[in-house]
Amino acid sequence: MSSAPLISVRALSKHFRTFRRREGIAGGLVNLFHRDYQTLKAVDHVNFEIARGEMVGYIGPNGAGKSTTIKMLTGILMPTSGEIVSNGFVPFRQRAAYVKTIGVVFGQRTQLWWDIAVIESFKLLRRIYDVSQRDFDERMELFDQVLALRDFLHTPVRKLSLGQRMRCDLAAALLHNPPILFLDEPTIGLDVVAKDHIRQFLKTINERYKTTILLTTHDLDDIEELCRRIMIIDRGALLFDGPLAALKEQLLRTKQIKFILRDGEQAPRLAAFEQALAAAPANGALHLERLDELTCRIVFDRKRVATADLIRQILGAVEVRDFVIEDEPIEEIIKRIYGGEALTPEAPASQP
Amino acid sequence: MRRILFQFGSQLRRHALLLGAYFAQYAKVRVSYRSDFFISLATSMAATFFSLGFVWTLFQKVPRLATWRMEEVLFLYGFSLIPFGLFNVLSMNLYEFGSTYIMEGKFDRVLLRPISSLFQVLFETFRIESFHEVLVGLAIVIWAGRRLAHHWTLLDAALLAFFGLCGGVIYLSVFLFLTTFSFWFEDRIGIHPPFWNLLAFGRYPLSIYSSYIRFLLSWIVPFGFATFYPSARLLGRAEFRAYAPLIPLVAAATLALAATAWRFGLRRYSSTGS
Repeated sequence: MSSAPLISVRALSKHFRTFRRREGIAGGLVNLFHRDYQTLKAVDHVNFEIARGEMVGYIGPNGAGKSTTIKMLTGILMPTSGEIVSNGFVPFRQRAAYVKTIGVVFGQRTQLWWDIAVIESFKLLRRIYDVSQRDFDERMELFDQVLALRDFLHTPVRKLSLGQRMRCDLAAALLHNPPILFLDEPTIGLDVVAKDHIRQFLKTINERYKTTILLTTHDLDDIEELCRRIMIIDRGALLFDGPLAALKEQLLRTKQIKFILRDGEQAPRLAAFEQALAAAPANGALHLERLDELTCRIVFDRKRVATADLIRQILGAVEVRDFVIEDEPIEEIIKRIYGGEALTPEAPASQP
Repeated sequence: MRRILFQFGSQLRRHALLLGAYFAQYAKVRVSYRSDFFISLATSMAATFFSLGFVWTLFQKVPRLATWRMEEVLFLYGFSLIPFGLFNVLSMNLYEFGSTYIMEGKFDRVLLRPISSLFQVLFETFRIESFHEVLVGLAIVIWAGRRLAHHWTLLDAALLAFFGLCGGVIYLSVFLFLTTFSFWFEDRIGIHPPFWNLLAFGRYPLSIYSSYIRFLLSWIVPFGFATFYPSARLLGRAEFRAYAPLIPLVAAATLALAATAWRFGLRRYSSTGS
């Protein structure tokens, strides 16, 4: 790390006091007078640092604490304990000065004025953020190049498609050229083309202005395309923080090999091979699945079986026309993490 | 000290300019729904004239209320429309605060902008058609004044404007204070309606009410200071003269109270997020 981190989060916690609501009218009346309070640890002792220019993916299942973290980082929520220093500010305490230096997009909610043309919202935001006319024009030019806004700048926001609205919201969040951009599910509900637009734009902004971007998402393609670093949170605790490649290295358990037989004549040899695999004691028994008449699949533990050995075995047994070798999809890995599979807690080095 | 004053001044100037921009934004919305504007203006004017008609009819039967002549009561009624109209231009933003800002989460958005949250909420939209109430009120005051052979001095005219403004501040502050309850209690309707009904009490001479109601309207929910005491001062009623200097003080105090409640509400919001 060459310089001080742009965002630094230490032992950050946010606990909410919630109460169990009783059902029905009678229950509602009881609620008025007596409440059973519980403490919900939405975020619990989270530590991380983000360097200038990084693009970090922040993922976790619904209710894991992602939004609560973002709300604390943007100064909306006050932490219960721990500290945040972001771009030199303590977000909650210096809210007005701090928010001038960040951009925020909530995928589910627009910040534009609903009933009037998009351009009018931009103009008012220019005034709110004190952006000079020259900077404004220059940025609008760039946004238009990448996001193709021109076609609907004069359309009222309520008449925009979700994809168009999202592009406008992104432009609105970046009008004042903030060094930090927080995105809460920026691609939610968008089609493939719109998602691609958004991703290209984020890449451009990140390269051109060195904008630091933290984004939450449920779409892992966002992460694979944009973020070298990924943070996983569940039940308020940070489970993983490191490069996507390291996550795979650490948790990728299985691979699968699919092969297509040359012709139907292979059937008897295949049956023999299947039995041999099931009996083979050396690498542990492997199960061969037949997907259709000619296609077969073997799922194997990548730490116990070397892919090359398996291929050699297959080639020795049957005549094959084609091979496909795949890693376990990243979704599956993450599903296992959410499902509670133990990650060695301190193992992944936080590397900016 | 000087630095602080300077900063305050430049913030004030910045917010004043932004107020213009917010109003322009609102005007653009209204222009794009033109017929809506005229319908709203017509219904709002009809409401004013109906309630005026009610007072008028009443006084055909009852020429006096306690020691108050009909023209005096009309003067009071007309004056009360001035702060009421000013208040109504902004009040729309308060009634739905609990449901749209707190429950639907629009308040997060407000906190992400580098200007005062209260400013953003108060000036999000306007109901400019309510300004006609100010004009109607003024016309009634002048008409009733003539019937009473009231001699208007320059001071009277200045006081009329000043008291009208103070009254508007009192109304706005009381309802703003009530609005801040939304920070603590999730409720779509809010607690404005009963207080809204109380507004009407301030349009008649306080002397006709029992001492409890007089006390309530003077010191608990000070609508009397928005309407009755200023009118009594303008009409030269000696028995309420002592209250006149208190009018701006009550306005300042209610505003300070509401602003403080807002600040506590903000703290509450940022610790619970709801």
